[in-house]
Amino acid sequence: MSQWLNKVIDDAKGVDDFLAPMRQQAISKLQTQGWPHPRSEEWRFTPLSSLKERVVALSPVNATYDIPQIDGLGAIDIIFADGVMLTDLNELSLPVGLSVYSIANAPSDAQAKITALFGNVKPTRHIFGLVNDALCQQGIYVEVDENCIIDTPLRIVNIATKDCDAHTRALVNLGKNSQLKVIEHGSGSTSSFTTAFAEYVIGQEAELEHYRFAFFTGAAKQVGGSHFSLQNSAKLNSTFVSYGSELSRLDVDIIHAGEHAFAKMKAIYLLAEGELFDLHSTIEHAMPNGTTQENARGIIGDRARAVFSGRIHIHRDAQKTLAELNNRNLLLSRRAIINTKPELEIYADDVQCAHGATVAEIEEKALYYLLSRGIKRSKALVMLNFGFIQELVNAVNDEHIRTWLLPLLSERFANMEVK
Amino acid sequence: MLKINNLHASVEEKVILKGLNLEIKPGEVHAIMGPNGAGKSTLGYVLSGRDGYEVQDGNVHFNDQDLFDMEIEERASNGLFLAFQYPVEIAGVSNMEFMKESVNATREQRGEEPLSATEFLKTAKEACKQVQLPLDFLKRGVNEGFSGGEKKRNEIMQMILLKPSLCILDESDSGLDVDALQVVANGVNSQRDPERSFIIITHYQRLLDYIKPDYVHILADGKIVKTGDASLALKVEKEGYAFLGKEYEGVSA
Repeated sequence: MSQWLNKVIDDAKGVDDFLAPMRQQAISKLQTQGWPHPRSEEWRFTPLSSLKERVVALSPVNATYDIPQIDGLGAIDIIFADGVMLTDLNELSLPVGLSVYSIANAPSDAQAKITALFGNVKPTRHIFGLVNDALCQQGIYVEVDENCIIDTPLRIVNIATKDCDAHTRALVNLGKNSQLKVIEHGSGSTSSFTTAFAEYVIGQEAELEHYRFAFFTGAAKQVGGSHFSLQNSAKLNSTFVSYGSELSRLDVDIIHAGEHAFAKMKAIYLLAEGELFDLHSTIEHAMPNGTTQENARGIIGDRARAVFSGRIHIHRDAQKTLAELNNRNLLLSRRAIINTKPELEIYADDVQCAHGATVAEIEEKALYYLLSRGIKRSKALVMLNFGFIQELVNAVNDEHIRTWLLPLLSERFANMEVK
Repeated sequence: MLKINNLHASVEEKVILKGLNLEIKPGEVHAIMGPNGAGKSTLGYVLSGRDGYEVQDGNVHFNDQDLFDMEIEERASNGLFLAFQYPVEIAGVSNMEFMKESVNATREQRGEEPLSATEFLKTAKEACKQVQLPLDFLKRGVNEGFSGGEKKRNEIMQMILLKPSLCILDESDSGLDVDALQVVANGVNSQRDPERSFIIITHYQRLLDYIKPDYVHILADGKIVKTGDASLALKVEKEGYAFLGKEYEGVSA
């Protein structure tokens, strides 16, 4: 067992709210499962040793926080700082058809909805998902009414500034034929540990445009997940962008629970120094006529390591599924590592599937050619190697996010050293 | 302009240049000929700063600056240009974007404003016509799918656009038919200027029919062993390198 997990379980036993029965289940699972074995498939390339014996110092909440901004986005911001919700939901003016409740003080009718959705989409295989189940006292429940198109994006900001643990949760329920844009925006660089999990139910013919930015660096550890359940003809367009830190892991589950659902998922990761980022995605095609397009691309510099595990599971009934999964990586140094594993598991006989993974290195001759024409090294590297990342950014739907993201990523890339 | 003094250089621990001396004044055209393996291309790479080419001894001054204190891109933006023997194909970067970036990097170095996309397009179109390449070559990936001759003309187009003070042409004539050879030679001649110098590395005399050199040097075994005027190239063409001594007997030009 781990000192840190023992503390988690002790703390969780003291949490008494309307989610207690579910928290109790999570605690039992944690007690039975224990700490993951270092060679378990889930954590094979992602060492958890920095977390195992972690001791958390209690630190007071800051008076002021620097909230990351996305110019022009005009989103409704729900802000969590070091695991505590700073936003007063009563002060928000929400568009008609959109409701947001706090888990910490939900009225009884919302409690019933939260209980119904909690843990419904997120699989229970994940130890940190269970930790979050047991400890997330702060979080939100979001509901979009049937037939409502919400134009204003909703941004859930998670910033870690202290040496503390933070566990937050988001539950989002899109009614039939509704539309919503959600941005999960996380960042931190101090010696914090954040678990942030989000569960989405996308109703029949509803559309979710989703973004998750995991800009945790340095000693800021984070483990989180975004999990989606798609009903009949639901649409999901999701973009993940991540840096790496001492420990950074995201799990994505997309479940085609209804027929004719469409899911597009993009992931971008740029890792420098000794950073680690681990992305596990699982696409479950449980019903027929579903489509999934998954594209993950990363650049790994210096001594950094990326782990990509992408699984598409096509159940026996999921006939006429179209599924594509592609993972491309560029290594900037001899010491950079990528462990990539695209997986297809198909039990239906009438499906179209493709998957692939590639790894490339900087081409010395091409770089020399550009330099010999006076182009600065940083610019030349961007021209030669950033293109395949830029391609994904250019495909981002939201204009403001695209405009904000491109210079951010190209600057990070330009500062990554090639060795 | 350029002063090479006792230059020794190696590639993968093999010594190639063994005490090369050469001085080039503004406006001069120097041809360098020599048998295979003499170090002609190595000289171009060492001057431009390619990784893996190590200078062991000697020094080079370019416009009174120590060349070896400068990065590859600094040498280029300060006016040193190498036309490659084998230009590199780069898919995914357009010829246009590539040349605009390089022209603007040079302009920045000279303290000039960068050219706008429209201004650059106009200049690029003219240069493209001058080397007789179709305009759609500007939109294609850098050298991507170009024939040997098209690649060489693309190099000359870059030279015209960048307006360097020292142009090193590494076998820009190899693999060209007579028409293409004339296009390359005309491109070079159009750029001749009292302030601009050329080093023309070649195996054959025929390019020198079109570009009149002020000096012809024979590079053999890492050193310049003979210097003369244009007639030296004709002599090589006729007699091979036998006159250099026993070890070069039978080596044809």
